[in-house]
Amino acid sequence: MGFRIKVYLICLFVMLTGFCTATSEDILIKNAERTIDLTSQLVKITHRLTLSNTGKSSVKSFSFPIDPKAQEKLSYFKAQLADGKESSGELKTEFSTVKGILTYKITLSSSLEPGQIVKVLVGTVFTHHLSPHPKEITQKEKQLVQYRGNAYIYTPYKVTTQTTKVLLSSSTVESYTKVKPSSQSDSTITYGPYENVAPLSEEGIIIHYENNTPFLSVGHLLRHIEVSHWGNIAVEETLDVYHGGAKLKGSFSRFEYQREQSGVSSVKSFKTVLPELAADVYYRDEIGNISTSNLRQEDDGDVSLELRPRFPLFGGWKTHYVVGYNLPSFANLFNSGDEFVLQMDLISHIFDHMVVDDALVRIILPEGASNIEVETPYAVTRLPDSLHFTYLDVKGRPVVEIAAKNLVENHIQPFKLRYTFSRIVMLQEPFLCVLAFFLLFLTFIIYARLDFSITKDETCDNRSRAAVMVEHIRNHYLKRSTLFQAFETQVAKLKSSRDINAFQAAAKNITSDLRAQILDLPSSLKSESPQLNDRVTELQKQDKAYRDFQSTHAQLVERLVSGKINKAQFVDAEALLTKKRDELVEKLNHLINTL
Amino acid sequence: MTVALLKSQILHMSIEKQETLLKLAILTVAAVLSFSTRLFSVLRFESVIHEFDPYFNYRTTKYLAEEGFYKFHNWFDERAWYPLGRIIGGTIYPGLMLTSAVLYHVMNFLHVSIDVRNVCVFLAPLFSSLTTIVTFFLTRELKDTGAGLVAASMIAIVPGYISRSVAGSYDNEGIAIFCMLLTYFFWIKSVKTGSLLWSALCALAYFYMVSSWGGYVFLINLIPLHVLTLVLTGRFSHRVYVAYSTVYTLGTLLSMQIAFVGFQPVQSSEHMLAFGVFGLCQLHAFTDYVRSRLTTEQFNVLFRSVLMAAGSVALAAMGILTITGKIAPWTGRFYSLLDPSYAKNHIPIIASVSEHQPTSWSSFYFDLQLLVFLFPAGLYYCFAKLTDANIFIILYGVTSIYFAGVMVRLMLVLAPVMCILSGIAVSTALASQIKYLDAPRQGSQSSEKKPKKGEAVVPFRSEVAWTFTVLISLFLVSYTFHCTWVTSEAYSSPSIVLSARGHDGSRIIFDDFREAYYWLRMNTPDDSRVMSWWDYGYQISAMANRTIIVDNNTWNNTHISRVGQAMASTEDKAYEIMRELDVDYVLVIFGGLTGYSSDDINKFLWMVRIGGSTDRGKHIKENDYYTPSGEFRVDVEGSSTLLNCLMYKMSYYKFGSVYTEGGKPPGYDRVRNAEIGNKDFELDVLEEAYTTEHWLVRIYKVKKLPNRGV
Repeated sequence: MGFRIKVYLICLFVMLTGFCTATSEDILIKNAERTIDLTSQLVKITHRLTLSNTGKSSVKSFSFPIDPKAQEKLSYFKAQLADGKESSGELKTEFSTVKGILTYKITLSSSLEPGQIVKVLVGTVFTHHLSPHPKEITQKEKQLVQYRGNAYIYTPYKVTTQTTKVLLSSSTVESYTKVKPSSQSDSTITYGPYENVAPLSEEGIIIHYENNTPFLSVGHLLRHIEVSHWGNIAVEETLDVYHGGAKLKGSFSRFEYQREQSGVSSVKSFKTVLPELAADVYYRDEIGNISTSNLRQEDDGDVSLELRPRFPLFGGWKTHYVVGYNLPSFANLFNSGDEFVLQMDLISHIFDHMVVDDALVRIILPEGASNIEVETPYAVTRLPDSLHFTYLDVKGRPVVEIAAKNLVENHIQPFKLRYTFSRIVMLQEPFLCVLAFFLLFLTFIIYARLDFSITKDETCDNRSRAAVMVEHIRNHYLKRSTLFQAFETQVAKLKSSRDINAFQAAAKNITSDLRAQILDLPSSLKSESPQLNDRVTELQKQDKAYRDFQSTHAQLVERLVSGKINKAQFVDAEALLTKKRDELVEKLNHLINTL
Repeated sequence: MTVALLKSQILHMSIEKQETLLKLAILTVAAVLSFSTRLFSVLRFESVIHEFDPYFNYRTTKYLAEEGFYKFHNWFDERAWYPLGRIIGGTIYPGLMLTSAVLYHVMNFLHVSIDVRNVCVFLAPLFSSLTTIVTFFLTRELKDTGAGLVAASMIAIVPGYISRSVAGSYDNEGIAIFCMLLTYFFWIKSVKTGSLLWSALCALAYFYMVSSWGGYVFLINLIPLHVLTLVLTGRFSHRVYVAYSTVYTLGTLLSMQIAFVGFQPVQSSEHMLAFGVFGLCQLHAFTDYVRSRLTTEQFNVLFRSVLMAAGSVALAAMGILTITGKIAPWTGRFYSLLDPSYAKNHIPIIASVSEHQPTSWSSFYFDLQLLVFLFPAGLYYCFAKLTDANIFIILYGVTSIYFAGVMVRLMLVLAPVMCILSGIAVSTALASQIKYLDAPRQGSQSSEKKPKKGEAVVPFRSEVAWTFTVLISLFLVSYTFHCTWVTSEAYSSPSIVLSARGHDGSRIIFDDFREAYYWLRMNTPDDSRVMSWWDYGYQISAMANRTIIVDNNTWNNTHISRVGQAMASTEDKAYEIMRELDVDYVLVIFGGLTGYSSDDINKFLWMVRIGGSTDRGKHIKENDYYTPSGEFRVDVEGSSTLLNCLMYKMSYYKFGSVYTEGGKPPGYDRVRNAEIGNKDFELDVLEEAYTTEHWLVRIYKVKKLPNRGV
């Protein structure tokens, strides 16, 4: 067994050296400056490398292995050209695990000709690389952490000169491994310069210093993005947050916490930066709203949300909460015809120097979206799509699920999601509502109109029949009253135009219309509803009286027009008639309204 | 010249249609109002469950919704009453949870995404809307449509009912009042018609009532009482016979299906009236039958002999059953209904609950306002025209007013009948006057109307009518304002979140309870056991999801007493008890810093009393906790027993150096208004695990036994 392992090891070594020699002969790192930023819970290492091609042929790419001791903790890797503008010179990288070592292959933008040099900036971010030491502290104590690393740059190439600068969060350094020449000034430790360091050389260093910055991590992040084509994108994040620093030993004393400013490494609150247009923000957990939060519009337009967990987070304590907000879709959803593109950050800012161990992003598209394609800024796992059902859904909304691990702030980058969605489908939901209400009303209409009883209720029947009759009579008189009015208009016209012939013709028409209009009442009315019958008789009497009035009035006007009576006589007579008419109108109205 | 003929043609609906429209409009508005007036707390705070018991109901509903009925039915909860546990399925009225779970599943089946919590929060308002509608139907059966509408509008906003049914107050009473009125409505219907259909419906409604609230006992005594009264007043008829026989048999069989009720309907004395009346009904009906077949003399002889024999047999049977324990003895809660001082003297745990205290007069006015005065008027109108139905409502009114006087909680049962009777009163009174409102105008026009009535011409008829109507309207308006004010001020605080006004008028929120519960939930081992006074049991198990020693179910007096003893003992004695109960954390409520007066120190005397009420706590005597002059003081003059007991130490640990108020020494308790007497002490067996921001909740961790030799 032991022999076998040895064989493997030898093989590995041979291959490793073979791999190194393949390129290391050609490339020499003339100068390397490394900055290890330990000011937060993250370890951010930036390498400024000056590469030179000492070989004969041009070099297209070079490799950058990650120290095997830390490769599990690597979260982010980026390489760019050091000279010129920072944003433009990003270099293509691809990674592979070569013989157990995670190695990035960085392709240069233009091939490096022999004798030339290029300056490259390589940035890496490690999470959970700092370990608290001691592991447990009391409330009063400060938090001390240890960084274990390498005094030299881990590279397969020979390095001519290299220096390493370590930035610390405080000047309180318990101890640090000295590799000559090394020095400490304030909160910076400098290693180097070291000359002509062989490839892949290692010299372990341990830096033990005070770091009270928040050691907050998100254990699990569930991010829901729900797209609605009615103009809204709802985002909801469910987070498990824990304090990964030194655990609290012994009791938590509120008195000391309030009075003596103890518990410096604990986290009381943190700031989450939301997108510029975020609205309707909520912050809650399983047992309700968390009332301790503040929302501010920052000067740069971002909305910053100051979140205070229900309790301060000490080492080892955890909490769980939900933050949600709405975004208008115009900023994130673009379309041409029925083709849509959703462009949003895959994860968003949670707190400064954040660490997300495990993230699941669920993007819920509107019902009926198809041809879904996702384009992510970095490698992630896409889980099988599923369906989500909510308000007024019939066949469910497609859900795209994306899982990612070990994320930091640098991963806040937009993804693109393309899909096809026919806009006509948007009408489905209103239509469903309309249909539901229509059916509801229809049922009621049917129920109210039809008689489902198996026995006959006489009194009820009579009453409803009488009601129908009243309606009928009323309609009849409504029509009649328009005719009456037409007649009166003619009379008035006659008064002004004095055209008797025209009037008589019109009057004849109206009269015949009135005659033709007969109120047909069933003969059973008298027996079924004698009261109504009486009233109808009375109504007909009044109706007749009104007709009489109208003909008298017409005659009077005719006589005036033909000059049979003079103006004064006419005025007197008309005044009398008008009075009578008013009384009649009132009686008629009253009768009809109280049928 | 042209004057429009037939002016009012637009609204030419028939009177009937107008009436229907008006009726529907009023009812709809009342139902909507009854829903929306209960939303104060949701708008002011959030959609959250209130108080204590609702948290238990919420937790069980969640379990039911997630796990299904059978699991729920067989649920043994090992997280409560440690180490005894509690059989949840068999010790609750499941109606409430079933209702919510069904609603939840129906909604989610229709893809209306609503979570269990929101269903629970809004269930009570929803059911009060339904109650409003049922009240209308019930009152219409008793009187007429007008009275129904008035009663419905009144019950929509009556504070006595709102107090138990605001949004978030997710308790049995929320739906039970609906069930109760529904049962009454069906009962009145069945008494009026004698139809099997209505009686069966009544039995079903009764079943729903039994499944949802222990107060069903009131129903099962009231309905027989009604029948008995009908029998005694000679109003017994075949209709009543059919109605009662159906309701009793069906209802009893159905009610026995509820696991918590079990065989009580045939065993416990609370149900004996119903059973007795059922027998009486059979006898009465049989006697009537026999009487119609025999001559008077034959009948008298037979009647007397049968009566004697039956009476003695019945008495003997009752006696034997009571002695053998087949008929359950009268339970304490029932005794305290009949005799207000019973509980106080015998069962401290019942007396300690504030809602079991007798009602004060002011709270009658506070909860019912105008209804208090309209109630007798309504009774008068019912007496003036006695019917079978009216007798029922009179009985309901009189009995419930008695019970409401005994226990504050039963104000809830009184409120509906107050509304019904007041509705009848207002409607009848107004109807008698409102027709004279436009008397003079009609006088000139339709002179034939007056002689038809045959009334003497009363001077100022119209003016009197106007005054009366305006006065009643004013009263009703003031009722509305009062109800809204009471709802908003008194009954809309979730009690889980406290709010106060700061010096500058801004609102300060004290969210300490949830802070502590959430801390427990997140930062203690999943199986840790938390000891607290029983008031907080339900909240801890629902919000902190940790095992608790005692909770609001108060079914085991000795267990609660044990906790009381721990709180009342010195630290080392308490440690023994806590070790015995496997306690990991102890939680106390302390209001000394903020001035929150219902904290554990103020409840402490109950702990002492309950702790001392069992054999193992004989050594705990209430008098030891008083000063020699009989005062309960926490300052230097307080009794040393108090100053050294566990509760005192946990409440005031490190409080001695806190400045609470300007000009006062450190350690000044703002609730008791005293500087505490025992300041600088350390805890030996406990350590402070967490204290909330305003010190409202303090959690202590029980230390493990020290290693040997350390």
